[in-house]
Amino acid sequence: MRNQMRLSPLLLILLFALVLPAIGQASNPCFKCHKKQLFKKRFTHQPVADNKCGACHNPHVARYKNLLQHKIATLCFSCHEKSAREFSKGIVHAPVRKGNCTACHDAHASNVSSLLNKRLADSCFSCHKTTPQKFKHPHAPFAKGDCTACHQPHQADNGYLLKEDSDKLCFSCHQKATLQQKHPNFPKQPARCLSCHNPHGSKQKALMRNEMHQPFKQGCKSCHDKKQGTSAAGCLKCHPTIKQKMYATHSHLTSPGDGNSCLECHSPHAGDKKNLLKSSQQVLCRKCHEETYRRKDASPYPHPDAATCSNCHDVHGSSNAAMLKGDGNNVCEQCHKAQGQFTHPVGAKIRDPRTGLAVTCVSCHYPMGTEYKYQLKRNGQKELCMLCHKAY
Amino acid sequence: MLTAEGIALSRFSTKISKNAPGKFAMKKNVVLSSSLLFLILLLFLLGGKAEAKTPWHWQMSLRTDAVVGAMNMPSALFVDANKDRYYIADCGNNRLLSFDREGKLLHSFTANDELKTPYDMIRTETNELWVVEKGLNSLTQIDSQAKKTIPHTLQYKERTVFPDRVEYKNNHFYLLDKASGDILVLDKDLTIKQSFTCPTEKGAGGFVDFKLVGKDIWSLDQRSKTIYHFRPDGGIADRIRLGKDVHSPVSLAISQIGIIYILDRLDNKVSSFDRSGRFKYSFLTAGQSQGQLYFPREILFDPWGQLCIVDEGNGRVEIFRR
Repeated sequence: MRNQMRLSPLLLILLFALVLPAIGQASNPCFKCHKKQLFKKRFTHQPVADNKCGACHNPHVARYKNLLQHKIATLCFSCHEKSAREFSKGIVHAPVRKGNCTACHDAHASNVSSLLNKRLADSCFSCHKTTPQKFKHPHAPFAKGDCTACHQPHQADNGYLLKEDSDKLCFSCHQKATLQQKHPNFPKQPARCLSCHNPHGSKQKALMRNEMHQPFKQGCKSCHDKKQGTSAAGCLKCHPTIKQKMYATHSHLTSPGDGNSCLECHSPHAGDKKNLLKSSQQVLCRKCHEETYRRKDASPYPHPDAATCSNCHDVHGSSNAAMLKGDGNNVCEQCHKAQGQFTHPVGAKIRDPRTGLAVTCVSCHYPMGTEYKYQLKRNGQKELCMLCHKAY
Repeated sequence: MLTAEGIALSRFSTKISKNAPGKFAMKKNVVLSSSLLFLILLLFLLGGKAEAKTPWHWQMSLRTDAVVGAMNMPSALFVDANKDRYYIADCGNNRLLSFDREGKLLHSFTANDELKTPYDMIRTETNELWVVEKGLNSLTQIDSQAKKTIPHTLQYKERTVFPDRVEYKNNHFYLLDKASGDILVLDKDLTIKQSFTCPTEKGAGGFVDFKLVGKDIWSLDQRSKTIYHFRPDGGIADRIRLGKDVHSPVSLAISQIGIIYILDRLDNKVSSFDRSGRFKYSFLTAGQSQGQLYFPREILFDPWGQLCIVDEGNGRVEIFRR
């Protein structure tokens, strides 16, 4: 009898352990309102499959949208700890950097592997809108929509989130011997493929980029056999207006050793646009000015139209602060025409009492972005004005 | 909070002494002295911390008044110890300015309006004036007697040299070539005798500034945030990585005891490091007020141990002393 008494609590526990989860599943109160069918797809996120809505959501009240218990990334990385460590290294994809995992992934269920919101290429193109989607001659992986054949979606050690150094990546599919045959006049082992070829596609055969540099069209010797031909001075010989910019107080004429600083941004052979830029300004400028971008992205009030740096900055050289196209007034007036006419007095006759310099828009605003509205340098209610108007 | 704790301790000791004066007299002394010791320690620690935060104090500004017009994008400072003078390259106004040691403006020099974007300058022991004229891409000799400028465009290894920073020591010019990021050593005939090249390691971008310290050269690679200490024979004596404590280093200064000061253009501050690259402290902030910086360009020590910062965006030179 005693033994039976001892056994019965154990049996009860066992019974509860077996039966309770089943009861829980059947009676998850969330699904009284939220259709469970919507969460049943080819791939289901494990907490959803386990009916653990509470792993991410608070059923009563929460500080975050969709009754989430924490910010999206904090929630994701609480389970995907290894990813959190990996995604903080090297060049990080913008949505990952911003902790916006759901930009690409569905947190509940998806018919696409890796819980992607859409088909891989569609997911990429939903942000990369300026990347052409169709080409007369597309690269095979691009045509298949297999972006991850070359790119890593979260982070990478290489520019453009490439899996490897671009040449290494090309050679992983294209045999070196075959490439040598196709480039009979190339003085050494073919390299720097992206200098001439577009890895996505082209109007031209062999993925040759659409715009060719005039000397390249005429033949390699136009530059390669000439004195200073491949140096910055060689480029500047044919581009005298750019040469003048190199004589400004600040210029982008900077490169280690015998390198040609022009080639930091431009391809000497072919490009997708006439300026033969190697990439979009956002990608190119960020290569060196990462911290500036990081601060702009982190600022609650960044300049709303700051994607194209050359709108405000003279990217080759300028004798204005921060390589602006003009002084702190006329650059802003390009767009802010009304403020150019009617604003706090600015210009040569109005002097900043702190420095004796002319008051300009950038006396009060920091256009890249600040923690105050309108990119003001301080709180515009009082603090900012008091810097000069001390008597008030 | 800690001070309040100290007060609480002394109150506690008073309470004890009132309750049992004889028995606890000894304890009272112990508690009082330990409280006092604690307060002294606290003051010492706090004082030490404040000292570490702001060891440099604003001394004066070199700036111009409305009569001669404000400086426009000043880019470099040269100090003549023999004459007790500061010289500023007022780049945007195409002129050179001289100040006495107390910061009084002495002269404004434009070489008969011939100077074109004077970016840096030196004065030799024989009083010759040499100017980096960015507008002409030249190292220009100023003949003040004949009131003439003699520009020199330089070539090195079949490349055009783009002069940026210039220093002068022992009859040699040390010239930073912006195009290559190399430091070139030229004799008085402007023949290039030697070059100091930025090692082309991953992430390197060429030198953006250098200082002559004794017989050695200390140079700064902005992109890799690395300082290279060269011996006169070109060998690298030290390689100091600055790490995450600086974001956009544009200029460096080395104190007599070997402390490294880095001017950070993006953060508008100065960070100091010891010889092994350990971060010590940083000071100054962004702004237009006295002692604040806005897109600063150069940092250097004057012969009197003061730290001078060419504050390009605010059109002045700020001078600090310990």
